Amino acid sequence: MLNIDQINVFYGRIHALRDVTMVVEPGRVVSLVGANGAGKSTLMMTIAGVLKSKTGGITYEGKPLEKEAHRVLSQGISLVPERRRLYANLTVRENLLMGAHLRKDKDGIQQDMEKMMNLFPIIRERLKQYAGTLSGGEQQMVAIARGLMSRPKILLMDEPSLGLAPLIIQQVFDIISELKSQGMTILLAEQNAFQALEISDNAYVLETGKITLSGTGEELLNDPRVQEAYLGVKAKAIEHV
Amino acid sequence: MNFSLIFQTLITGLAIGGIYSLMAVGYSLIFSILNFSNFAYGMVIMLASFMGYFAMSKLHVGMGIALFLAMVGAGTLSFFNERVAYSSLRKRHAPPLYFMISAMGTSIFLENMVYATIGSQYNAYPQIFAVPTIKIFGASLGKMDLFAIIFSIIAIYILNYFIQHTRTGISIRAASYDSTVAEINGVNLGAVIGLVFILAGLFAGISGVFLGIKYMAYPNMGWITNKAYVAAVIGGLGSLPGAVVGGIILGVLESFVSVYVSSTLRDVFSFGTLIIFLVFMPSGLFGKYLEEKV
Repeated sequence: MLNIDQINVFYGRIHALRDVTMVVEPGRVVSLVGANGAGKSTLMMTIAGVLKSKTGGITYEGKPLEKEAHRVLSQGISLVPERRRLYANLTVRENLLMGAHLRKDKDGIQQDMEKMMNLFPIIRERLKQYAGTLSGGEQQMVAIARGLMSRPKILLMDEPSLGLAPLIIQQVFDIISELKSQGMTILLAEQNAFQALEISDNAYVLETGKITLSGTGEELLNDPRVQEAYLGVKAKAIEHV
Repeated sequence: MNFSLIFQTLITGLAIGGIYSLMAVGYSLIFSILNFSNFAYGMVIMLASFMGYFAMSKLHVGMGIALFLAMVGAGTLSFFNERVAYSSLRKRHAPPLYFMISAMGTSIFLENMVYATIGSQYNAYPQIFAVPTIKIFGASLGKMDLFAIIFSIIAIYILNYFIQHTRTGISIRAASYDSTVAEINGVNLGAVIGLVFILAGLFAGISGVFLGIKYMAYPNMGWITNKAYVAAVIGGLGSLPGAVVGGIILGVLESFVSVYVSSTLRDVFSFGTLIIFLVFMPSGLFGKYLEEKV
């Protein structure tokens, strides 16, 4: 279980996360919904160890999370970063190998590579191409595969649908459902609130660095405030006031 | 046209080009991962040249052992160059300008330390080959030049294999593209940067000894090592194939200018080429980044 307890994160003098507290339980898909600049990526980067919290702490399975990014991965937490951030100068195959950088089991890595090619058939065709030559959707598939290559216990996905065509977004969410059915624990940051909430067990709403709402995915889907702000539904209850 | 003179000039140019390539590879390795030009690198090359000189003239070892000692010494020096002068800047995410200033400080310090302790005189390496030249196709070629060409090719080939095909090599390339994501993927960035400086140092060791044999060892050798920077810019800073091609182009150009135009105009041509590239083709022949698709 990943426990985020009252963390405060600053960018210089900007207070980016304020007393954020949340829980990710094993086997669950938890989504983090919020507008641009609400702090979703900041939270993801903080969990991944890239940014540091000034106060508060994060624990995983009862132990405090490592301070450095490369050690956080060895605890089983893997981030698929926002905007994919593939190594454009590396081939697709090398990008996947980078995902498995900490693993020593050559055979296991090869098996997982095969698994990724079955999960994302496009990777098989593009294996020797430079990642920078792929389309946005293809890059997202490779980014997710790279995140999985470390065999993480928790997959953090930061805006996997960003900048993709609707059809590709559907594919991304299909993949997330598939991973969920395999028992993967996922923390998903999304602007695409409707689809994120639909597949989530739990969800949190982040606004200007603060958690303003939380509940099950379904509760938030039916919450008039969420509908108004993120789902584009004009809540009748509010209209009549 | 005199064929044997052209051939001879070409071989000399390739030998100098090979040394420039080695130095440019060192520059480019560091540039690709830290995004700044490490001007202290020239001083590491100069000190390597002195190490080779002292090993051969005072310890009376052969060139092979001198080369080995200079590589180990320069590798160590380069590693500590990063730990002392840059690692704290890196941890504070300082802008590249701060790195450059720190590099220049380090460079001035090292150069003056040599002036103060060893002195400003030119130190000639002992003779290496009893007969320094061999005749091929009527051209008289320096044996040392041929050795430098072959050794440079081997060293660059090994480095290239390491960078392209090993797990660590791939992580160096990954970190040079996006160091944050590399860390997220489990790369210990401090260790990788340390390794890059050691590799650059090994190349400084080889080129320092070759330069010393060719031009003698003296404290302001730095001006020659600036040529490595020129070569790296021609090839495209941060690109290893670019560094090699840039070094060879520069070496051959200089050698032909010296023979067929005037040796006093040699540096005018080299630095003129630098300016032309900086103005018209700042990313060089092989720019660092492939365009990222959004």
